Amino acid sequence: MNAIDASEHHERVDESVPPSLLAIVLDTNPHAWAHLSSTLPLATALANILVFINAHLASGNANSVAVIASHSNKSCFLYPTPAPSSPRPQPNATNGDVDMNGTTETTSYSVQDNPNKYRPFANVETAILNNFAKLMEGTKESHLEATPTTLIGGALSLALSFIAKATLLHSPSTSNSDEAMLAIADPEAIHTSYVSLASRILIVSVSGDLANQYIPVMNSIFAAQRKRIPIDILKLAGDTVLLQQASDATGGVYMKPERPEGLLQYLMMAFLPDPTARKSLVMPSAGGVDFRAACFCHRKVVDIGYVCSVCLSIFCSHDLPDNLCLTCGSYLSLRAAQSNPPALIPRKKKKKKRAGADSATPGGSTPAGSNTPMHA
Amino acid sequence: MSASSFQALDYLEQLPVQTHRKLYEQPSTVLAIFRCMLPHLAKSIVMALLYMPSSFPAADLDAWFRAESSQTKRNALSILEKLHIIVSKQDDERKPHYELYMSFASSLRQALEGSGSHRSFGVPSHKSEERRVSVEFLDKYSQRQWENILFYLVGGTVGFRNPGGQDIGQGTKNLLHLAGFYNHSRITQDGFTFVLRDTNAQVWSLLVAYLRNAPQQRMSETDILNFLFMLGSLELGQDYSTATLSATQLQMLEDLAEFGIIYRPHKSASTFYPTRLAVTLTSDAGAFSQATTTASSLGGGATSKGFIIVETNYRIYAYTNSLLQIAILSLFTHMRTRFPNLVSGKITRKSIGKAISYGITSAQVIEYLETHAHPQMQKKKPFLPPTVMDQIRLWEYERERMETSQGFLMKGFGKVEDYKEYVQYAKDTGVLVWQNDKLRMFFIDSIEQVGAKIKRDMQRAAARA
Repeated sequence: MNAIDASEHHERVDESVPPSLLAIVLDTNPHAWAHLSSTLPLATALANILVFINAHLASGNANSVAVIASHSNKSCFLYPTPAPSSPRPQPNATNGDVDMNGTTETTSYSVQDNPNKYRPFANVETAILNNFAKLMEGTKESHLEATPTTLIGGALSLALSFIAKATLLHSPSTSNSDEAMLAIADPEAIHTSYVSLASRILIVSVSGDLANQYIPVMNSIFAAQRKRIPIDILKLAGDTVLLQQASDATGGVYMKPERPEGLLQYLMMAFLPDPTARKSLVMPSAGGVDFRAACFCHRKVVDIGYVCSVCLSIFCSHDLPDNLCLTCGSYLSLRAAQSNPPALIPRKKKKKKRAGADSATPGGSTPAGSNTPMHA
Repeated sequence: MSASSFQALDYLEQLPVQTHRKLYEQPSTVLAIFRCMLPHLAKSIVMALLYMPSSFPAADLDAWFRAESSQTKRNALSILEKLHIIVSKQDDERKPHYELYMSFASSLRQALEGSGSHRSFGVPSHKSEERRVSVEFLDKYSQRQWENILFYLVGGTVGFRNPGGQDIGQGTKNLLHLAGFYNHSRITQDGFTFVLRDTNAQVWSLLVAYLRNAPQQRMSETDILNFLFMLGSLELGQDYSTATLSATQLQMLEDLAEFGIIYRPHKSASTFYPTRLAVTLTSDAGAFSQATTTASSLGGGATSKGFIIVETNYRIYAYTNSLLQIAILSLFTHMRTRFPNLVSGKITRKSIGKAISYGITSAQVIEYLETHAHPQMQKKKPFLPPTVMDQIRLWEYERERMETSQGFLMKGFGKVEDYKEYVQYAKDTGVLVWQNDKLRMFFIDSIEQVGAKIKRDMQRAAARA
């Protein structure tokens, strides 16, 4: 009879691996790929990434994938094919509903006819290739001349919103509207009770400095950190401080391969293991991370800057128009800080005038106004 | 991995190397084995090795894994070695290296890249649209065929007659007999295990029985496995040509059609349709659970996600009108009322006792109730009320009041001290089963050590005298 103990039987060890959602942000910046064309042309890279996507889909039955292109003039979904309500109507997209199971029905050519290919793989590949071709056709020279960088911030937020939607749809509570509402109201609580979908973001980046998108990218990083979504970075070319910080803050993998030709092996070994497998593997990380921030006024990476005391915006110079913070509009006199470098306050008069200590602090010893020089 | 893939994995592991080699020539088979048979970490290892230009030194592999997960690593490696997927080699400096088997690696690459000309993912047939059968029809068909098999097993015991009228074929009957599910026109304990599982696990256990039976039918196991794994990668609602199939596979078509795993318009048709049972063979999703919407609209509540509500007062409400499910439920429930879409009953001591006398265990009953628990029940963890679960177990233990163990009764000790010494010795060596101090008797299940001690003591006593 002692064998019957209510506590013993009910906690079943759940050995099943949660399905994982991989959102790939592919930097398709034509300028950067043109630089890489001698070692790793975009076509080869895309083919390798497709094999990697197949490997990811094969690693778990319910695994799903989303691919987002971060182009020079826009960011858009390559897979799943976006709804036809997008600016350019697509005759191929069927019902426009985003299908989470990776079985978006593409009625385009040759998907059904290849007996050498697993159907789900063929579906994803065709969709990605079609959308990619469409993206390239839509790229005009004027777009390229406008900017040499890529819109990684927009792509990241697309990825995050897709993941958030997929997580909500996936969690068992969706049938019940109350709990769905609860999930929206308090995402953390839901997250701890059902760890149902393990999501991660992989950024394949080729572009250089992204300081002009410091604010949107940083916001995305914090959102990912809060949602516990690791951001993996594969840096094929260029160097940015921001993406290093992204992988470091979210616990993702950062890799900057010396030989981009071996892209597939890097992907397979370092980026394929999902969060479950990563618990038992040693993953490469960024090592020394540059934590410097970019200023809000000129998008320059700064060592020492000025911080608005109200909204924590960072500025590189004290020349603010009308002494107003650019972000929140509150009064901010930085010139005072410039003329009065922070100094250690001598703490002689400790016991003397206790009552009036606050008001009587001399303006010279504390940086006047509402700013503090920041050392990052 | 679900229970169903474990069965198939067990079967695969005991196959000889030659069969594995032959199996790995088919990319669809390799992909299916990779997708559903391998433990999670093993997949990571295989993928890391797949495109590696040279072999992988074992030392590097150890470095790749965290120290605390060496147990899971060893487990993954041992499965990979048992399936002959990786091979450990020694290089010139006698250091161990890991490599993937050539054929496995090239087939997996072909599967991922979609290259080659193996045509192993099924050749779709091109037919005009209007002659195609619909997905609903396939669902209905496979459900009917599969429920016929289950009903054949259960119906006789409960005393129901199949209203569908259709009996299953002689071949299927023989197979159920060979698998040990049905014997002397009665369902066996294994049969109950089979019936109470979820559909995907049922399909696999029947197919494993089919595979074991293959050599007698002079069918090639490799061909069967290849075909099954190919079925798992097909598209529902698409018809496929039989032109590329081998003789064994053509023979299989008939059997599988009878199980409801595939559908053929007529016996000599040149095409076949995989049903939902087939396309979910290599995925963990319960075969019919994805068909929820169609199934419920058909009224076949049996196949919807979950339909049983168990209350803490032992009452059971099952939203179903499937005779099969009612028959299964009535194996261990005292049925009271039946409505168009609902049956209700109560779990009683008597009904559980009856089930146990058939050979059903309490664990099976609980598992069945858990797998088919209504979504409302699935919100809580555990799904079933703990009191009910415990009571079902208690009712089972009730029938097992007597426990027998073979051994030796020691009695006739002259002095209390002697008795106590020997009891203590038996207790220490862990052989004591029962003792009675009043009668100076005890019972042990192994005599060797206690006997040796008695002999030693007697010799010592004799020497002293």
